[in-house]
Amino acid sequence: MKTTFAVCIVAFGLLLGARSAVAHHAFTAEFDASKPLKMTGTVTKFEWTNPHTWFYLDIKNDDGTVTNWGFEMNSPNQLLRNGWTRNSLKVGDVITVEAFGARDGSHIGNAKAVTMTSTGQKLLAAPSQN
Amino acid sequence: MAFATRAVRQVRISIIALALFLGMAGAARAQWLSLPLPGTPRTPDGKPNLMAPAPKTSDGKPDLSGIWHAADNRYVDNLAGEGADVPMLPSAAALYKHRQETLGQDKPQLHCLPHGVPDAMLVSMIPFKIVQTPRETIVLYEEFNQYRQIFTDGRALPQDPNPAWFGYSVGKWEGDTFAVDVAGFKEGTWLDNGGHPHTEQLHITERYRRPNFGNLELEVAINDPGAYPKPWKSAIIHFKLLPDTELLEHLCENERDAGHLGFK
Repeated sequence: MKTTFAVCIVAFGLLLGARSAVAHHAFTAEFDASKPLKMTGTVTKFEWTNPHTWFYLDIKNDDGTVTNWGFEMNSPNQLLRNGWTRNSLKVGDVITVEAFGARDGSHIGNAKAVTMTSTGQKLLAAPSQN
Repeated sequence: MAFATRAVRQVRISIIALALFLGMAGAARAQWLSLPLPGTPRTPDGKPNLMAPAPKTSDGKPDLSGIWHAADNRYVDNLAGEGADVPMLPSAAALYKHRQETLGQDKPQLHCLPHGVPDAMLVSMIPFKIVQTPRETIVLYEEFNQYRQIFTDGRALPQDPNPAWFGYSVGKWEGDTFAVDVAGFKEGTWLDNGGHPHTEQLHITERYRRPNFGNLELEVAINDPGAYPKPWKSAIIHFKLLPDTELLEHLCENERDAGHLGFK
């Protein structure tokens, strides 16, 4: 049973990845699929809210200063179905995020996946397309 | 000493109670995301048999009940099909052009307002649940905890009703097809995420079929003389059953994208 369900949610999850355009809001109005980002930083906040979850990272710049970046993901329900819980990210966790950058160049991104530095665990982030 | 012992015991009991509670909470969550639902036909290895015949209600009608999601996202942007052009009256064409050019920045759901009919069913990762009863069929949309009632008790559509986001729905069976008439729409919903508009004159006909246990099909006919010179239809939209799981609460509590969108 568990296997069946896992197959279903993975299949369900794959549908998320297959899409790069619009639904809840127009992905293309906010983010740019041609601007992939991969950044490592420290979690400062995790907002487990509908319709989209957001987490924030302090990311060190080349000149030693620190910028706080925001990353959007899909709804908590989609993340739950992808194996997340509201406790998956904690303040102080060091993580690497793969995301799409903002059209307007602001310090936000649409997260595709998160890797926990301490364990190497990778969580698919269910991009926020709905 | 006795007091201290009692305090320690109370703390221990509290810890045990907390552990039990947390354990139960964890189990409950896991169970509701993945639980074997009765009435699900299964293959010998216990997996849901999605190719089994569609279930029937006690009166012999196909039973559409279940949790469904769009098989893909191909009709999210354009209900008529990718690249298909629907002829529009000038006012509708201008509105559609604006919505396309601004990439949907004024979409209702950006203000936590509904996707509407049939748009609320088109996004593949947002499931909906159909509950079929003898006198009405209820559609529970996971997104924003919204619902529709499709009455099958023989009533007619209301005359000049107060316009509603999801309109007013009545349904009847035509063989194995559940034919639903929807009218009384409030102007302002989008028929799809691409922004096909409609007026209050919109009348939608939905035709649902469940060819087997794991599949549901829908064809949507749009008739809106206020926006389109002639009626038009969607292609057949396919939905897959999500077996052995439940809908989850989804209230729109913190929409914050509007501030980030381009084309301000």
